[in-house]
Amino acid sequence: MLLYYLRLSALSYKRNPILSTLMVLAVAIGVGAYMVIYTLNYTMGGNPIPHKSSQLFHVQLDTGDPNLENDPPEQLTYLDATALIAASPAFRQTASSKFVAVVEPSNPELLPMITNNRGVFGDFFPMFDVPFLYGRGWDRDADDNLEQVVVLSRDMNERLYGGRDSVGENLIMDGLVYQVIGVLDDWTPVPKFYDVNNGPFDASEDIYTPWNHIVDKEFSRQGNTNCWKAIDGSGLQAFLNSECVWIQYWVELRDRNEEQAYMDFLNSYSAEQKNLGRFERPLNNGLFDVEEWMIEQEVLPDETRILSALAAMLLAVCLLNTIGLLLSKFLGKSGEIGVRQALGAHKGSLFIQHVIEAGFIGLIGGILGLGVAGLGLEGVKYLLGQDLLVTDWIQLNLPVAITTIVLAITATIIAGLYPIWRACNINPAIHLKTQ
Amino acid sequence: MLKMTDVCKVFRTELVETHALNHVSLQVDEGEFITITGPSGCGKTTFLNIAGLLETMTSGQYLLDGVDVSQLNDFKRAKLRNQKIGFIFQSFNLMPDLNLFDNIDVPLRYRGMPAAERRERIDKALESVGLFSRKKHLPAQLSGGQQQRVAIARALVGEPRFLLADEPTGNLDSNTARGVMELLQEINTAGTTIIMVTHDQELANQSPRNIHILDGRISNGTPAPQQETDKEAAPAVA
Repeated sequence: MLLYYLRLSALSYKRNPILSTLMVLAVAIGVGAYMVIYTLNYTMGGNPIPHKSSQLFHVQLDTGDPNLENDPPEQLTYLDATALIAASPAFRQTASSKFVAVVEPSNPELLPMITNNRGVFGDFFPMFDVPFLYGRGWDRDADDNLEQVVVLSRDMNERLYGGRDSVGENLIMDGLVYQVIGVLDDWTPVPKFYDVNNGPFDASEDIYTPWNHIVDKEFSRQGNTNCWKAIDGSGLQAFLNSECVWIQYWVELRDRNEEQAYMDFLNSYSAEQKNLGRFERPLNNGLFDVEEWMIEQEVLPDETRILSALAAMLLAVCLLNTIGLLLSKFLGKSGEIGVRQALGAHKGSLFIQHVIEAGFIGLIGGILGLGVAGLGLEGVKYLLGQDLLVTDWIQLNLPVAITTIVLAITATIIAGLYPIWRACNINPAIHLKTQ
Repeated sequence: MLKMTDVCKVFRTELVETHALNHVSLQVDEGEFITITGPSGCGKTTFLNIAGLLETMTSGQYLLDGVDVSQLNDFKRAKLRNQKIGFIFQSFNLMPDLNLFDNIDVPLRYRGMPAAERRERIDKALESVGLFSRKKHLPAQLSGGQQQRVAIARALVGEPRFLLADEPTGNLDSNTARGVMELLQEINTAGTTIIMVTHDQELANQSPRNIHILDGRISNGTPAPQQETDKEAAPAVA
């Protein structure tokens, strides 16, 4: 009967093409607009590493101003980051900071270039499941021994070496020679969860190098630096000894026990620092897994929430229109419904027939809605392209397309429930006489 | 096989209460051809709708093949209607987007019949009304008389025991009407019980039994021949 009902739906569409097309347009516009905003929210607010996000924790130590009751700082001081790394009680851990450097390509045809880089510990790569195209990352010995090694992004490897396996090549960065030991595959987590403080939708870095080099080689740090207390003195050492925060710190903890043990470690560390005259505020350290950290940091801009509400309202208005149009269409079929009842249709079968007819309209509306959503996303790319460095992720992918179709069908069926109920409860006797 | 006892139908609005049928009792036996006559608004169509399970009664008892239909839910009423009753309407009530084949297919679809059997029955029904060659035509491509023949084929395709006809010749010219009437008589001769509502006294006179309804009551009834000796049967009680 499903195919029979689908055929009846197509015939019904042909019988009232204008009314049916109006419904399809209402559904397409409502669903299309909603899916544009949904796609943005889905991508911007999605979990960038779902398979292990509950094992990755951002570390927060409350080193803030004792005279204020604000939240603990999002980043760590150099003193604390190096202390935590030295203790290293977690399964894996990394400090992480941005810096820029000038790279001199070995290819004489290329000009020197300023690159966006990140200093990390060797654990960074296995912690975040960073994919490698060639080579590998480095180990803890390389961190401790300040080995001059780098890992390139795929894009940087393309630019410097034409995409070939560059492992073993020497790279000159700020006049220092580094050896390429690995090249990443495409890796652009959205949001860039490991550093939401410096642009959650920025592109990934070009070059990764052991974090200790940032201080040792005095690279030019980039990113947010916040100091609640004046730096005592001048120069790099004074800055490193200050209460300025500029380092993101992540740990990998495999289960609840490890999480509790690490929290105990942080609290114990805070107690030690209090004895030394630091950490003047009440104990308020934090461990946030990836999703908690995205929420805590309000990665999703407020504007998208407002847009979500507006898009939902537009969808509701379109569906209200659809209810009216379906009511008109189905009540216009009262004669046919009466005849079908006379010929043996019970209300249940008529209900199913019209649910499928509503779903058919929703299906066509959904397909058209995909076009509306595609156009809308292109518009969003155009508008956001100037503010966000990464817009490639704003696209109509398969899950979004399926969601659009399912939403359109479901929404239209829900909108059709009242008209269908009314139509199935007509008195057939009246319509058989007057048809 | 069709027995109504003290059947009443009252239509109520906030202001008015209309007694469309008032204590109607009637028995129709297998193979009868009954005409129902009466002035407009007397309750003929209401009677037919109740007999055809399209309308519920306010009170009384209605037994269809021994089944008390007042106890049936919508699903069971629809099933009974599909299996035992065929309808013919004044305005044919064919579905305009479906061709003749598909129009006749509708009651068989609701019976859940296999496709091959449906096809065989539909072809046979179309042949019986002389329209097999036009089975892919739409109703609008036929004359009124042909459309009514299709409606008759649709009513008969499920081999119902009752054929309920509500002024089946009302929209037809006299020649075509005569043809339809002859077809109905053939159907009755083949064994199908027919109850036909008509305004046309001439047509009513052609049936062996005529029931006249006035103000919701049976005002006179020509008893069926076999009922003359049946003391339990109630041919007409007003």
